[in-house]
Amino acid sequence: MPDQVPADARRSPDDDERAADHAAIDRLTGELLPALIAKLGRTGLGELEVREGAWRVRLRRPAGPPVGTRERRASDRGGAERSMDRVPERPPRAQHLHPHPEPPATARSDSRSVATSPAVGIYQPRKDLTIGSRVRAGDRLGAVDMLGVAQEVVAPIDGVVGTSLVEPGEAVEYGQELIVVEFGVPMSTNGTGS
Amino acid sequence: MFKKVLIANRGEIALRVLRACRALGAEAVVAYSEADRESLPVGLADEAICIGPPDAQRSYLSAPAVISAALVTGCDAIHPGYGFLSEDEGFAEVVVAHGMTFIGPPANVLERFASKAGTRQLLGAHGLPTIPGSEGMLRDDMHALAEAERIGYPVLVKPSAGGGGKGMRMVRTSRELESVLKVCRSEAKAAFGDDSLYLEKWLDENRHVEVQIAVDRYGHGVHLGERDCSVQRRHQKILEEAPTPTLSDAVRADLTERAIRAVVAAGYENVGTLEFLVDRTGNFYFIEINCRIQVEHPVTESLTGVDLVAMQLRIAAGEPLGISQADIRFSGHAIEFRINAEDPAHDFRPGAGIVERYHAPGGPGVRMDSHLFTGYEVPPYYDSLLGKLIVWGPDRETAIARGRVALEELVIDGITTNVDIHQALLASETFLEGRMTTNLLDRVGSAAFLAAAARV
Repeated sequence: MPDQVPADARRSPDDDERAADHAAIDRLTGELLPALIAKLGRTGLGELEVREGAWRVRLRRPAGPPVGTRERRASDRGGAERSMDRVPERPPRAQHLHPHPEPPATARSDSRSVATSPAVGIYQPRKDLTIGSRVRAGDRLGAVDMLGVAQEVVAPIDGVVGTSLVEPGEAVEYGQELIVVEFGVPMSTNGTGS
Repeated sequence: MFKKVLIANRGEIALRVLRACRALGAEAVVAYSEADRESLPVGLADEAICIGPPDAQRSYLSAPAVISAALVTGCDAIHPGYGFLSEDEGFAEVVVAHGMTFIGPPANVLERFASKAGTRQLLGAHGLPTIPGSEGMLRDDMHALAEAERIGYPVLVKPSAGGGGKGMRMVRTSRELESVLKVCRSEAKAAFGDDSLYLEKWLDENRHVEVQIAVDRYGHGVHLGERDCSVQRRHQKILEEAPTPTLSDAVRADLTERAIRAVVAAGYENVGTLEFLVDRTGNFYFIEINCRIQVEHPVTESLTGVDLVAMQLRIAAGEPLGISQADIRFSGHAIEFRINAEDPAHDFRPGAGIVERYHAPGGPGVRMDSHLFTGYEVPPYYDSLLGKLIVWGPDRETAIARGRVALEELVIDGITTNVDIHQALLASETFLEGRMTTNLLDRVGSAAFLAAAARV
């Protein structure tokens, strides 16, 4: 929808101007909007703005459902070993070339789970969240800004907020571990995790 | 030159771009989906960043994810490879809006060449022959007969609103044309609500020949010869070679010179390919332009010694070509075999799984561009290309002989590949005599083709 309509066009009783205004509205709804919506759909962008004369049209995609928050092994990948920071030895490390480089899934802990990043971008935790805060599965823990669109980071389980693995404002990749959520930890412990 | 390039692709082309970046002294960041975490380009990259789940719509095809990844890793350019976002003018535009360079034609150039019909008209106006057809829509039967006579039989009757072969008929005589017009009109009316028809010349035994071109920002362009991509299955190229067998030097010179003149005049920029159909007598007709690096680019690199991916990077960085047409020398003959994870014995069913053993062939004139390694798991989410084997020889016979040896030497255990079809091709008389046409594999049928080759 246009968030700006030329005011004089509204006020003027002049038939020509009114006709021109109607024509502009027809063009907007008949051609421009469908084309913009199609373009927004194709590109996957969060927001699109077009200016033409006194008109300005801005489309914003509704925030999508939170994604990428499945439970992960606590030992899966530590913050220090994030691949976006790593500079592999050359030639590539041998484990890259093994058929099953993942460690066997024995370290899966039932007492903790880690909220992961739903997108590649800049991470900001929720301001009012501290270690020890009680959260429920699906609660918003923060957001990752991907090109101006906030993608929600949510708690994977009911529990208590533990260690942050990433600093606020830090760049994160898709699937990166962000915050530990401890399950069944008494309120008295500080829940700093391992 | 760029300091740091984000590679927004996977597989062999991600590896190819990474190598070009290295050779030019640029750092390479590989953007990957979760399915490609253990891939060779990720392992070899200076940095790697996961941009999304295996679903390409949310990773390799997601413009926001790719651009966000480039921004947070501090890249100053993005190379899209082929497929995915490589010819998306909207993506190219947003990359530039975020202060980075899109390695490929600028967005306005991609837009100019986005429509096939529009591009045919544009390049037709700059001297490229297009497939002859009727002047506008057919008014009535008399008009249809007159136009068919002018174009020359056989002709293809096509509905204006079209697709899927509905209302389309190939006719060889005026009598046939008279009898099908009514049927075509009613079919078109029923299928599209529009019964207007037009005619196009029918080319039945044609070759697919494409011209590689490169144009810098300053309007200086060169062609890098042509490639024959006639060996296809259902419009998918399987094998490419250069120079085109049975194409005379005079026709080759005319084709390549006209192609480069037309794209320069039409304002193209960066590396690109113009596709043509060539009929038995050597008439060529422009079909479409590909505004990207192509899978089969190593064929041209083998003949000319030019690094086409490096050339893309240089042009995008604003450097002049620095070479003129006379500097491009063509030597010998090259053939590329696309090695796909598909089973020729079962209708080319695509496959996935773990590569239990991989061995790449070698020797003089043998190049293997592949992201495979022993233990690599081929994910099921993407195209089936496992790699490309390119052989070069001073002449076609030597290239074919080296191809036979290399295909024999290549080991990819654990995955069914289409190597058999290549070996069948190299045993077929039609191929050895250089008489391949685009319809050969589909007409004879791949299974019959394999069986015939096995008997030789």
